[in-house]
Amino acid sequence: MTDSGIHITLQQAAPIPLSVQLDCKSGELLALVGPSGSGKTTVLRAIAGLYQAQNATILCQNEIWQNSVQNIFLAPHQRHVGLVFQNYALFPHMTVLENIQQAISQLPKQQRQTQALELLKKVHLEGLERRYPKNLSGGQQQRVAVARSLARQPKVLLLDEPFSAVDQVTRRKLYRELLVLRESLSMPMILVTHDLDESTLLADRIALLHKGEILQTGTPEFVAAHPKSATIARLMDQQNLFTALVIAHDQAKQKTHLRWRGILIEATYQEQFAINERVCWMIQSANILLHRRGRPSNGNKENPLQGQITEYMESSGLAHLRVQVDKKLDTTISINVPLHVAKRNTLGLHEKIGISLLSEGIHLMPYQVLRNES
Amino acid sequence: MKVSLLTKQLARSCFLLMLLSPILRAAEIPVIAAASNIKFALEEISTAFHQETGKTLHISYSSSGNLTRQIQQGGPFELFLSANAQYVVQLYQQHKTLDRGQVFALGRLALLTHIGSGLILDEQLNGLKQAQQSGQLQRIAIANPEHAPFGIAAREILQKQQLWDTILPHLILAENAAQATQFASSGAAQVGLVSYSLALAPTLKNRVRYLLIPDALHQPLQQTAVLLNNAGDTAKLFFHYLLQEKSRGILSRHGYTLP
Amino acid sequence: MDWQALALSVKLSFVTLLFLLPIGILLGRWLAYRQFWGKSLLQTLLALPLVLPPTVLGYYLLVAFSPNQGLGLWLVNTFGTTLIFNFQGLVFASIIFNLPFAIHPMQRAFAAIPREIREAAACCGMRPSLVLWKIELPLAWSGIISAMVICFAHTLGEFGIVLMVGGNIPAETQTIAIAIYDRVQSFDDHAAAIMSFSLLLFSMLTISFTYWLSARSERTHD
Repeated sequence: MTDSGIHITLQQAAPIPLSVQLDCKSGELLALVGPSGSGKTTVLRAIAGLYQAQNATILCQNEIWQNSVQNIFLAPHQRHVGLVFQNYALFPHMTVLENIQQAISQLPKQQRQTQALELLKKVHLEGLERRYPKNLSGGQQQRVAVARSLARQPKVLLLDEPFSAVDQVTRRKLYRELLVLRESLSMPMILVTHDLDESTLLADRIALLHKGEILQTGTPEFVAAHPKSATIARLMDQQNLFTALVIAHDQAKQKTHLRWRGILIEATYQEQFAINERVCWMIQSANILLHRRGRPSNGNKENPLQGQITEYMESSGLAHLRVQVDKKLDTTISINVPLHVAKRNTLGLHEKIGISLLSEGIHLMPYQVLRNES
Repeated sequence: MKVSLLTKQLARSCFLLMLLSPILRAAEIPVIAAASNIKFALEEISTAFHQETGKTLHISYSSSGNLTRQIQQGGPFELFLSANAQYVVQLYQQHKTLDRGQVFALGRLALLTHIGSGLILDEQLNGLKQAQQSGQLQRIAIANPEHAPFGIAAREILQKQQLWDTILPHLILAENAAQATQFASSGAAQVGLVSYSLALAPTLKNRVRYLLIPDALHQPLQQTAVLLNNAGDTAKLFFHYLLQEKSRGILSRHGYTLP
Repeated sequence: MDWQALALSVKLSFVTLLFLLPIGILLGRWLAYRQFWGKSLLQTLLALPLVLPPTVLGYYLLVAFSPNQGLGLWLVNTFGTTLIFNFQGLVFASIIFNLPFAIHPMQRAFAAIPREIREAAACCGMRPSLVLWKIELPLAWSGIISAMVICFAHTLGEFGIVLMVGGNIPAETQTIAIAIYDRVQSFDDHAAAIMSFSLLLFSMLTISFTYWLSARSERTHD
């Protein structure tokens, strides 16, 4: 059975702690996400062979690129790896065409030129063959970098925060181009980014990296909705993170009852947490319903709460609210609603509203101390 | 590692270069070490030698002491013309020479001053004494007694005339006899106690005034020629040429007394 | 003008360059890219000739290569010659004395190449020697040329060391700087003046060229 994916394990205590296990299938785009200093670039460099981790195995399309036990380590130029650097690292003394041709220098001249021109076309840069990198915009440089890495016919494509150096408009354009481009690529792709939205947009799966350790992998939506720990929830920028106490499990009704600051709330059945165990829980904004103003309240609403809007911000078609829940003076819940909903309900600062927390959206995690809660 | 490999290659080529160099220097031109005071006389003798025999010489001038040191350290000289006999004896005792050498001339000293200076030059150095006492004397140049025989002789003269201690603060020690002469002739030093032969140099005519010092005032400056261990035929030929009539005539014209 | 002395000086400069070019590139590159234990000590040693009086270096060379003992004796026994009082000796002394002038500009030039560019070259499939040839040298060339020009000019003007270990032998160790000294001592001011002025002109040209070169490379790197 031929395996055209890449399999990576890195274990190291010092100088940079690493505890990583990653697999990426061919054609799959995996985003390596984490805050600065989490080690994402180190992992990428290790895959490329620019960094030699102490205990590592890197297997790509059935080629052993590194095996610490067998003392195998292939240098970067011996691996067919495509790496797009954060600052593109184009050769300043060569034209665009020459830059790309460096990756295919083993071919005869005519073929080199044809292939390089084709790649340029693929990244929508025809006509720019003779330009020098310093005369290109950021977006154009990035495309040349991508073309150059693809010229190598790499067995894995690595992208190190390739969009961080361009402005937002260019970035959106480049996202679209990447999404189109990847359809024609049949290799594993690993993208390093600290931008969660970017990873949600582009990646099939994400791997969350924190202080050198992979905490969780999965699709972006899944990891956001089902983080294994409060730390992960934080890293995924989940705003609504609280602690509670498990009161009871109701298997028949598939519910778990929690006491949260004196209120009883119902979550879906999550029996792995024991009764009287303290837990952390989170809920995404998408699972919080706004009670329509002026409509009589229904008794059946799940986990109804009353509150007052303490923060109100509008941006890109959404209204971002922070609601201070009554009787719980130092707890706020964040919700985002489409702008037209906010308008329809005449929402604004200091307005009183009612919300419901959908129990299927209440996700429990092992207890840990949270900064915002006493 | 790449660096050490290249360094090894470089060291090898360096030594190869050294091996080749004796071969590269095809027509071996002998090198002669000569005390700088004999410069002008020797140039003339060397030219005459070339005219008669067609052979060339390379001459390296410095102070006798300096040249002695260089010979001790393996300098490639074949013939040494020293400004005194002691350095030659030293080398002979160190087995650097074929024999004890031969005195071929006796050197003399002169007081030399720039043509514009008002200094009185006299054999007893009274003019010098006066200038020093009246505060007019600023600098006097002699060759360094540490390694130049003409400097040793100059010091002898000054000591005999009881001038050494008073003159000391005004003394400039030149590296060799030629430099002492250059200091005095250019006016950098008001006066110099220098080699007579150099004072006679044609290039200095009309630029300087000088006075020959009686040789009673110093130990004889025995200009000694000696063949060194690696002396070749040309060097030996020149050694004998130095002692012949024509050379003696040249030496005499340049102010040397003949033995 | 003493053409023989000038030719000797030029020959000495070129031969020194021949050695210093690879040494400078390799050492400069190594120091630019690597951190290692003892690096500051090495850099101090390599910078010594900048502040060391030439006579100190001359002294140590004389002691080391004196044919009566030690290294000098071994050289004489093995190769029949040593490294003082001859052209090879001057080359050797010149290489040591010019090390900082060769290494420092080259080190700076190599250090100025962003590491990512070299890494990108490796990821393009270039093995290290090819990266050096196609990427690093073209990007560092102005620093290398500067270094070579400075070394050439510096060698041309060497005096103290040549005086101490050379022996003032015409056609062998009588460089033009020594020749000027010699002419002065022969009261031949005319010749001394001509040679001195020529060297002055040459030095000015050298410095101007080096400045022009570094200004030019700054522009292309923008």
